[in-house]
Amino acid sequence: MTAGVPLLEAHDIVKRFEGQYALRGARLELRAGEVHALLGENGAGKSTLIKVLTGIYEADSGEIRRDGQPVVFDNVREANRAGVVALYQELSTIPSLTVAENILLGAQMPRRGGFVQWRELRARAREILAGINQRIPLGMLAGDLSPVQQTMVAFARALALDASVLILDEPTASLTDTEIEELFKVVRTLRDRGVGILYVSHRLEEVFELCDRLTVMRNGETIVTKDVADSHIDEVISLMVGRDAGEMYPDRGDGGGDVVLSVHALEGRRVQGVDLEVRAGEVLGIGGLAGSGRSELLRLIAGAQKRRGGEVLVGGEALRPGVGAVLDAGVALVPEERRSQGVIVGASILDNIAVPNLSSASRFGWVNTTAIAEIARRGMADLKIKARSPRQHVGELSGGNQQKVVLAKMLARRPRVLLMDEPTRGIDVGTKAEIYRLIRRLASEGTAVIAVSSELPELIGMSDRIVIMHEGRVSGEVDAAHADDELLLSYCYGKSE
Amino acid sequence: MATPASNTPTSTVSISAGGRSVGRLLLQSGTVVALILLIVFFFAMRPDVFLTFTNVRNILYQVSILAIIAGAQTVVMVVGDFDLSVGATSALAGAVTGALLIGGVPIPMAIIVGLIVGLLIGVANGLLIAYLRLSAFVATLATMTSVIGLAYLVTEGTTLFNFPAEFNNLGQGRFLEIPLPVYFAIVISVVLWLVLRFTTAGRRWYATGGNAEVSRLSGVNVKRARFIAFSVAGLVSAIGGILLAARLGSASAVQGEDNMMFSVAAVFLGMTVVRSGVANLGGTMVGVAIIGVMSNGLNILGVNAYVQQVLTGLIIIAAVTLSSLKTRER
Repeated sequence: MTAGVPLLEAHDIVKRFEGQYALRGARLELRAGEVHALLGENGAGKSTLIKVLTGIYEADSGEIRRDGQPVVFDNVREANRAGVVALYQELSTIPSLTVAENILLGAQMPRRGGFVQWRELRARAREILAGINQRIPLGMLAGDLSPVQQTMVAFARALALDASVLILDEPTASLTDTEIEELFKVVRTLRDRGVGILYVSHRLEEVFELCDRLTVMRNGETIVTKDVADSHIDEVISLMVGRDAGEMYPDRGDGGGDVVLSVHALEGRRVQGVDLEVRAGEVLGIGGLAGSGRSELLRLIAGAQKRRGGEVLVGGEALRPGVGAVLDAGVALVPEERRSQGVIVGASILDNIAVPNLSSASRFGWVNTTAIAEIARRGMADLKIKARSPRQHVGELSGGNQQKVVLAKMLARRPRVLLMDEPTRGIDVGTKAEIYRLIRRLASEGTAVIAVSSELPELIGMSDRIVIMHEGRVSGEVDAAHADDELLLSYCYGKSE
Repeated sequence: MATPASNTPTSTVSISAGGRSVGRLLLQSGTVVALILLIVFFFAMRPDVFLTFTNVRNILYQVSILAIIAGAQTVVMVVGDFDLSVGATSALAGAVTGALLIGGVPIPMAIIVGLIVGLLIGVANGLLIAYLRLSAFVATLATMTSVIGLAYLVTEGTTLFNFPAEFNNLGQGRFLEIPLPVYFAIVISVVLWLVLRFTTAGRRWYATGGNAEVSRLSGVNVKRARFIAFSVAGLVSAIGGILLAARLGSASAVQGEDNMMFSVAAVFLGMTVVRSGVANLGGTMVGVAIIGVMSNGLNILGVNAYVQQVLTGLIIIAAVTLSSLKTRER
């Protein structure tokens, strides 16, 4: 580790929004050649701090130093020019441009007299990609890349900007385990070259595998900065939550009611001949690598995607196609992508919760606004949604609270079967535990839950029974009580029993 | 960084400050203040004319048709699309009704056929956009072109007139000193407002416009919602067109061409009124009022009609800029 002046420091940063503190004296120190984890629950102030560091927000008070010198970044471009680059959760590539163009976008684009110098562009892009051991066809459109390739292109772009401070916000959220390994390799390469990497993630296992130091934030303050080697995962969780972590996963239930939903020979684009049953009161976890068809399976059941064959029975009756019909039969989906599939970001909590409940809260086409307000109020109270009022826009809520809004709107329909795709993606530890408890409570009330997860510990912790998919088919099924990572992984890679 | 929705406290302060703060005032207090400023301005210029009963009645009369067509446009823009064919549809509906009247068809029958023509154009738009997945721009541009052609065919390229007096009375008559189209505009606006706000159809329109995929996964039949929105827009545009024919006592293929652009402008202006920045009927009516007051005021001041057109475009730019500044502020 290089000694000397830190690459980037934040001192006593204070930031208020409408009088409420988002940051109250946050501190951070990022050294050259380290991977530094920034941890905290949603709403702890991590995102705000990053936005202050990259010039998106202006701090109310406090100081930022770059190589020991006080700096003020008025906008992202100034931060980039100073070598501070952030890669966000939402992949920041332009789908309609080629890989090479994405890497050298904007001021880095080699040109002469207004014309792009294509040969030079390709040469430089190739060189940068080679530096992180990537071989991605330069002429491919970024939109056709896999998520991990897109992340790599975003990385390459950061390198093109000569970034010496790289901020990664949940870079692994949409990646599979092998892809994550690949990403880690690149991160380590960059670290060894002296780049300082600030790594924001909710996945603590990753942090312990990858990072050198960690900083924990809570309520807009920096709680501690320490070496990862001297830390323990439970300790970090209690620092984040501000109390003892306790049990993350609630006890399993007996899970032995009647079969509520059964799937026969279901066919989709990837899914091939899947048979499945789930009982009332049971939590069925579905795992598998990305592209194994696990999400598609849920979407096929929910009617969000057209079936090519097979049938789905609920309470013995065949489901008619279409989301509306499936919902009416008591099967509700909490989709994978919260912001593009789960909530209307620009609408209020009330309006979001109203959408799937319009028919039940109306007469002759007229909406009973009191009934809707009551549904929303009950949902917010039941799920402990933190918001100023039901009229607050969902876009202003944290990820965890947005997820609760999705749950609230679907639970108001009292589904017999709840389908959840990545129920805790991008959600802080505290809210995660809340959602696991909720899933268990719903099960104990007789709901059948099918939950897809890419995180094996989560799959084991929350489920009664686990089904693993591989290339569109079920490759294994285990009782969650007897499951371990190794066994599940072997199914993920297609080794049958 | 407060959301600039509240309009009272800062505005009173900055009016006295004058000059430079006008821009900030507009930004903070939105389009409603712009309307008030316009009224104050024209009143100051011509206190003898502008706010008299006769002139206010004139303004209302002038904007009544636009208000109806802008209402139709609002519905479509709520679902996140827009309709370039509203003006053409209104012209064709007016022309069909007019031609039938001249041919001796009874008034109620002629009106019903005109309305059906409008509804059918809306249905065609809806089918093309919702079910055949054409972009709203392409589909309504195409229907607009064909519909204008049809209107030329129906009118044989001329202006139809000599309608029965009872028909013309719908557009020219008065009740309690107020012209009938004003009442029609009010009734239609209130009905559309109620539909948008309190019916499942209206809420589904808003949901679809907010995020079609989220709505679909929540069980909303997004295709049907868009289809119905375009159909309603066609029908309501036809009402506007038939009333326009009655008001003018004549019908031609180019009648009310301005209404398409002005209706979009009114909805855009209206979107700046609410914090969420979505189309809404109350806002649209503020937009209609701005356009009406501008046009009337500039007329009174003797400003040339072409200059008025230029100014209207500038107002739209100003409004949309203001609303984008608002969102950036957040």
